[in-house]
Amino acid sequence: MFFQQSANCPVTTTVAVIDASAIASATSASKAAGLRLSVLLIGLACAAFAHADDGMSKQGWSLQGFGSAGAAYSNNTDADYVTSALKPEGVGASGRWSTGLDTRLGAQLNFTANNKWSAVLQVVSEQHLDRGYRPAVEWANIKYQVSPDLALRVGRIALPMFLAADYRKVGYAFPWARTPVELYGGIPLTSSDGIDATYRFNRGALKNVTQGFYGRTHQALPEGSGLEAERLAGFTNTTEYGAASVRLSMLSADVSIDVNVLRSFFGRLRQFGPQGAVLADRYDLNHKRVTAVSIGASYDPGRWFVMGELGRKQTHSLLGDTTAFYATAGYRLGNFTPYLTYARVRADSATTEPGLNLAGFPPAAAGAGAVMNGYLNALLKTVRAQRTISLGARWDCMTDIALKLQLDHVTPQDGSQGSFAHLRPGFRSGRSVNVASAVLDFVF
Amino acid sequence: MPAAAADLVVIVSSKNPVAALRTEQVADIFLGQVGHFPDGGNAIALDQAVGSAQRDEFYVKVTAKSPALVKAYWSKMIFTGRGQPPREAPSSTAIRKLVADNPALIGYIDRSALDSSVKPVLMLH
Repeated sequence: MFFQQSANCPVTTTVAVIDASAIASATSASKAAGLRLSVLLIGLACAAFAHADDGMSKQGWSLQGFGSAGAAYSNNTDADYVTSALKPEGVGASGRWSTGLDTRLGAQLNFTANNKWSAVLQVVSEQHLDRGYRPAVEWANIKYQVSPDLALRVGRIALPMFLAADYRKVGYAFPWARTPVELYGGIPLTSSDGIDATYRFNRGALKNVTQGFYGRTHQALPEGSGLEAERLAGFTNTTEYGAASVRLSMLSADVSIDVNVLRSFFGRLRQFGPQGAVLADRYDLNHKRVTAVSIGASYDPGRWFVMGELGRKQTHSLLGDTTAFYATAGYRLGNFTPYLTYARVRADSATTEPGLNLAGFPPAAAGAGAVMNGYLNALLKTVRAQRTISLGARWDCMTDIALKLQLDHVTPQDGSQGSFAHLRPGFRSGRSVNVASAVLDFVF
Repeated sequence: MPAAAADLVVIVSSKNPVAALRTEQVADIFLGQVGHFPDGGNAIALDQAVGSAQRDEFYVKVTAKSPALVKAYWSKMIFTGRGQPPREAPSSTAIRKLVADNPALIGYIDRSALDSSVKPVLMLH
């Protein structure tokens, strides 16, 4: 059950300080992250002094958590099936079983000072690209309720891009073993450091929520590299009418990915004169404007549900442009919910590239150029084109615990490697691969 | 009377000016979508204990959600920072006493536990 208590100020403030400093050191967070945490702590401390409890409202502290224990299996040894660009581990070539895909643990500390001020700190431990499970601060923000219908937040905020985007790590909250990789994998970033405003508008049975956000995010990658999204701005509008819900989202960001191998590759490409520079400008990841739009709808009268989403992404880089969609339907038989999902992603940009025209180059340079062309085409194969049919069931076996079993029949298409990595020579685009997953989701 | 799970009433304090509520209005308050009564007064929901027959029946009738779906709903709300579930009280009598004393509270109890300290605003059959 949700633990919720009101405690006296000095004690709880100390708890928060210990918590957050432990997190800050555990994540070896940057100075900026440390500063943000300090800001949050000051906010929590101030809020604690303003704390007064009338016994019945929701003032005070609460600690809640969620988690998933997952295992995935694939007998395909030609490549690894990977579910996120920010996860190192796949299942298949490097091992028939993997627990890294879906396993995570999250804890959330909430503090409500009064009906104006509240704060939240959410920490999630899951496998990172360095294969470690160090906890990371997923959320750390302070909310000011300007009026019953308008709220402002500052700090680290979830990116509300898709229907399930702002709770995509909380497996218990959605029907699948994991959010459909064709759409959700297109935007692996889940949070932004900045501000947002949420405006709620209710008219009878119609409920509308509009959210605008602006911020930036930094994702550390192994070996000192990193992903930077600056001027990250977006807008989401969610309309509910009875059992029906529609969400429209837009997002734009200035994205740079600084990875050693890419930096040296594009540096060498630029040495091939103007045509090299043209190719490098077209595909590199240095301050590229990335835009994404999506529309999602769901209808859930209780006994059954359907939901579907369509999203487009443009990156002006080797990440490519894609259109993705999925549709899911499920039927609830008591505590048992079988579901079926069809998902597809299509590359709207080139997945092959003629590359450098090497006619007239001396043999040594032409050889080096051919290697560059090969590498560039290998990069473009990672632009996703794929379809997946998933059959699964959720079993709400106990209070607060759900067990999900899911079978995915995954087919990378159009020469793309889809959501596969660590390719072996036997890998063929167009050949289907089966993946089975079992995930135990819980909240506490 | 047969095991009278079929007779639940939604109540507010007799000091509360609200006379009647529709099912959707009650659902909005208990799901944290609306924080006030139609007349503008603060509304704070109070739940029966988790796992109780009253609670399970209330949510099926008012929101068409099973206990697991209610829990999944609150998981979304909590872990996106949008709200916290209602507080709980252990029994119909306890809820009636709390609601009687506080015009902001709204609860649901067995019809047999009704008295004049509270006002029924919706019958659930």
